Formats: sequence, structure tokens, C-alpha cells
Amino acid sequence: MLATNLLTPLLFLFLFSQLLQKLSVFPGISGNYLTYLTPGIVILNAMTSATLSGVSMVNDLNSGFLSKMLLTRVSRPAILLGRLLTDVFVALLQSIITVVVAIGMGVTIVTGLPGVLLILATVAFFELALSGIFLAIGMRTRKTETISAIGGVLFFPLIFVSSAMFPTSFFPSWAQTISAYNPVSYASDVARGLVQGGLTGGTLASAYLMIGFIALVTISATLYQFRKVIS
Amino acid sequence: MPNIISVKDLVIVYADGTRAVDGISFDVREKEFFGFLGPNGAGKSTTIKTLTTLLRKTSGKVSVAGFDLDKSPAEIRSAIGVLSQETSLDVDLTGRENLRLQGRLQQLHGKLLEDRVEELLKMVQLDEVAGKPAGRYSGGMRKRLDLASALIHNPKLLFLDEPTTGLDTQSRAAIWEYLERLNKEEGITIFLTTQYLEEADRLCRELSIIDHGKLIAKGSPAELKATVGGDAITMELKGGDDPAMKSKAKEIIRTIQGITKVVDSDGGVVAYALDASQVIAEVVTSLDRSGIRPGSLTISSPTLDDVFLRQTGRRIRSEELGRKET
Repeated sequence: MLATNLLTPLLFLFLFSQLLQKLSVFPGISGNYLTYLTPGIVILNAMTSATLSGVSMVNDLNSGFLSKMLLTRVSRPAILLGRLLTDVFVALLQSIITVVVAIGMGVTIVTGLPGVLLILATVAFFELALSGIFLAIGMRTRKTETISAIGGVLFFPLIFVSSAMFPTSFFPSWAQTISAYNPVSYASDVARGLVQGGLTGGTLASAYLMIGFIALVTISATLYQFRKVIS
Repeated sequence: MPNIISVKDLVIVYADGTRAVDGISFDVREKEFFGFLGPNGAGKSTTIKTLTTLLRKTSGKVSVAGFDLDKSPAEIRSAIGVLSQETSLDVDLTGRENLRLQGRLQQLHGKLLEDRVEELLKMVQLDEVAGKPAGRYSGGMRKRLDLASALIHNPKLLFLDEPTTGLDTQSRAAIWEYLERLNKEEGITIFLTTQYLEEADRLCRELSIIDHGKLIAKGSPAELKATVGGDAITMELKGGDDPAMKSKAKEIIRTIQGITKVVDSDGGVVAYALDASQVIAEVVTSLDRSGIRPGSLTISSPTLDDVFLRQTGRRIRSEELGRKET
């Protein structure tokens, strides 16, 4: 399963960059669609991994594995932290592979290694904020179907009505408005600013504030649900 | 011997208002082999989940392994081993790796852990397949591995929630043997829930029978069965659906010395006698003299199901209806 998860972003990267190569001539792409797309795919990794986090939690709950863990000497916060960090790790691994492959395909990350590290930090932070949603839902409903359904319904519009895959200047004005408030756009703009250069302090600060706010809400909900599960 | 589990007036009400456990009290002595027998949905799993700190009780006083359930749940968890109904193993890891993982979670390390892992693999007879992924194990093997992992930290008290449900006869016998050995040779106190009469009868020295969240009988299997009133002689009568013939048969049998009780059953009657072998010949000849012929006749020792039947008017499981224990 891990292997499939690691390959999905690469599949996206290849498919979109090859099929939509001609997008490169449009303004807002800066000459190369692959370079435009790479940061978007990296942010996508955070989103898929977050969904997975909820699914794993439901499986642990329903298979009795969580109960088994709760009965050991492992501290309870560590059990939740372990779940969160595992999925952050998966998102990071996916992103490192994506970046390496993209570089192999000719993408230049103008900010170099420090830029890549900041991209990874952004992915990790975004993943953490989003997994809170799915962990909380998973612990409440105990159904993987709910998670997949919500993941699909929430994530498809969020991904496509954002700057992740296409420049927002392509969109009708209503979509541009949504995209301007879409957290996926914030995260993608940070990653893109680091790949193409030109990241401003303002973009970085507003993205981290936005993600921080989401994390606060979703991780609180997760803690609340976790406390209910263990008592 | 002192009590290792003490439960007083335990009540567990679910969020939807269901009274899953409705005011039960019992004690379990140290080194006891204690069983909770009851049909599905009787409240067995709910009780075991509460005693093992996984579920919150509504009211009542509970102490496990010398610790108060409300004040020291973490200490209770360290002292007990739990085999839950669902077998949860990592199917990608080998049997040995599963045990090692469980050992690390229980904060065992180094040679101590390695020795314990090998010892347990031998005990549950998985040492030869310990290098294979647990995903390729049969149901019985998985259960044995799960049992080993519940024992990794040397608990003095072992909780088992329906340990043999869904297992084939052979795997069941193997689990029974391990449990008996653990109890006898290592002095581990065992608390087991089961819906199988034979299991409760064979393993448990002390039983509580639970139904609809209430304890309906307590005692050793022999004591419980003694309350039924001796051996059961089940007779099918030719033309036994005729109520007149049934009552005539009952009248005749009731006069025979040694018969304690006669009741109706489908197509015939059931007579209870302290010792069936002493009265059986007379029962048959007396009936024959009156022209009543038994179509079939079975003598059986009373079973725990008879105990359940007497208390609730129902049998524990219909599938076991036809089986007689001797």
C-alpha cells in the first residue's frame, strides 16, 4: 500500500505535465508547465496522506489494534502522536520523491536546498493540519467510507479551484474569488514561490497563519475525540 | 486466598440508554480459573472491557489486581494481560516480529525480551513457523500468537474475551490446553468469557452465568449442575403428542422411587433422577405395562444449559440443543 501511495504523485506529475504540455505557452505559467505543476503536486501529497491518516485510525479502532495499544505501557499521547508523525513522514517521503523526480525531469528549484527544506516544512505543517480533520471524523464515525467520501467531496474542488494545478488567471471570476481564500492556494503559492523564486514574506506569513488556524481547530477536534475514545 | 478481582454493584449504561450491565457483583480469588458464561449480548464483553480499563463504568466499585479501577487504571493495565475477541496482529510482520513489537510496547528490551519471545513461541507451538508472516497463519495460529502476545509481560492475571469463538475443534483444544497449563503451572489467574457450555464446564472452577446484564447463577460447574436435580432421562413417546398419554406417563413415572421430578418436553417427557441407572429399568417396564412405548430414550447428566434453562426458560444456543454431555 505504501508503494502505491508513493507512486501516485509521480503518476500525477507525469500525466498532467505531459498531457498539458501546451499550457506552457500561457501567461502565468512562466514558460514551463512542469515547473508550475511540481509545487502543486507536492502540496497534493499532504492532502492524500491526511486522508490516509483517518483511514488508518478507523482501521486501528475497528481491528482492535488501538485497544491493544491502549492496554500496553505506551503513554496515550504517544499513541496519537505516533499516528500523526507517521502520516507526516509519508507525506514528506512522497514529496522528496516528487521533488527528486521533478529535478530529474528538468525542473530547477531556484532557492536550492534551503528552499526544498522550507517546501517540506510547509508540506508537513499542511498535512498535520488536514489530518486533524480526518482523524476526528474517523474516530467519531468509525467508517472508512465516510472518510473517503468526505475526502473526495472536499479535496477535488479544493485542489482544482486553487492555484495548485493551474494559474488562477485561467478561472472565471467566481472561481478566482474562491481560490483566493482556499488554503490549498496559500500552501501552493509558498511552495511555488520557493521553486520559481520570488516568495515574499507576506505570502509565507499569511499561509502559515492560515494553516496554523486550521491546525488549531482540527487538532483540537482530534484531541477531543481521542479523549472520548480512550475513556 | 485473597481476591484478585472484586466487583460490587457494577452498572454500565451506554450512551443510548442501554443497560448493558445491570448491577452485578462477584469476586475472583487469586489463581482461580473463573468463567463468565452467557449468550451473545448478555454483557460479557462489556464487563471485560470495563475491568480492563477500556470502557468507563456508570457506577459500582471495582478493584483489579489490588488496584482501584477509578484511581489506578494505568497500574491495572501493567498487571494484566488481555486477549480480546478481535485478533489484531500486523499481518506483514512475522510471528516473531509481532511478539517483539508487543514486547517493546510493553517496554521490554534486549535479551530478556528475546528469551521471552522464544519461550512463548515454543509454548504456543509456533516456533517452527515464527519466521513466516502472520498474514499466512490460519485462524487458530493467529489466536495462539495473540495469546502469546498477551502474555509477553508476564501478567499475573489474564483476561480472555471469547478466546475460542470461531475456531475449529482442534485449535480450540490447543487453546484450552495452554490455558489450563498457565493456570496450573504458572499460577496465572484466568478470567474468561464464553458462550460455549463445554468450554465453561471443562475449564472453569468457578462460574458466573450472565443474561441480560444480570448474574443469574454462581458457583462451580458441579454445584450449578447439582441445582438441576440429578440426571435427566429424556423420553420420546410413541404418540407422545397426545396430552392424555403424556400425563398418564408422568403419573406412572412419578410413583417410581428415586425419581425427583417429571416435566413435559416436545413429543415426550423428561424425568430427573439422582441416579438414572437405578431407576431406568423400572421406568421402562412400568410404562410398557401400561401400553406406553418410548420411541427413544436418552440419559444425560445435567449440563450448564439445563442450569440456564431452569433460570431463564431459554437455552444458551440452539445449535447445542441436540448435544448431550456425559
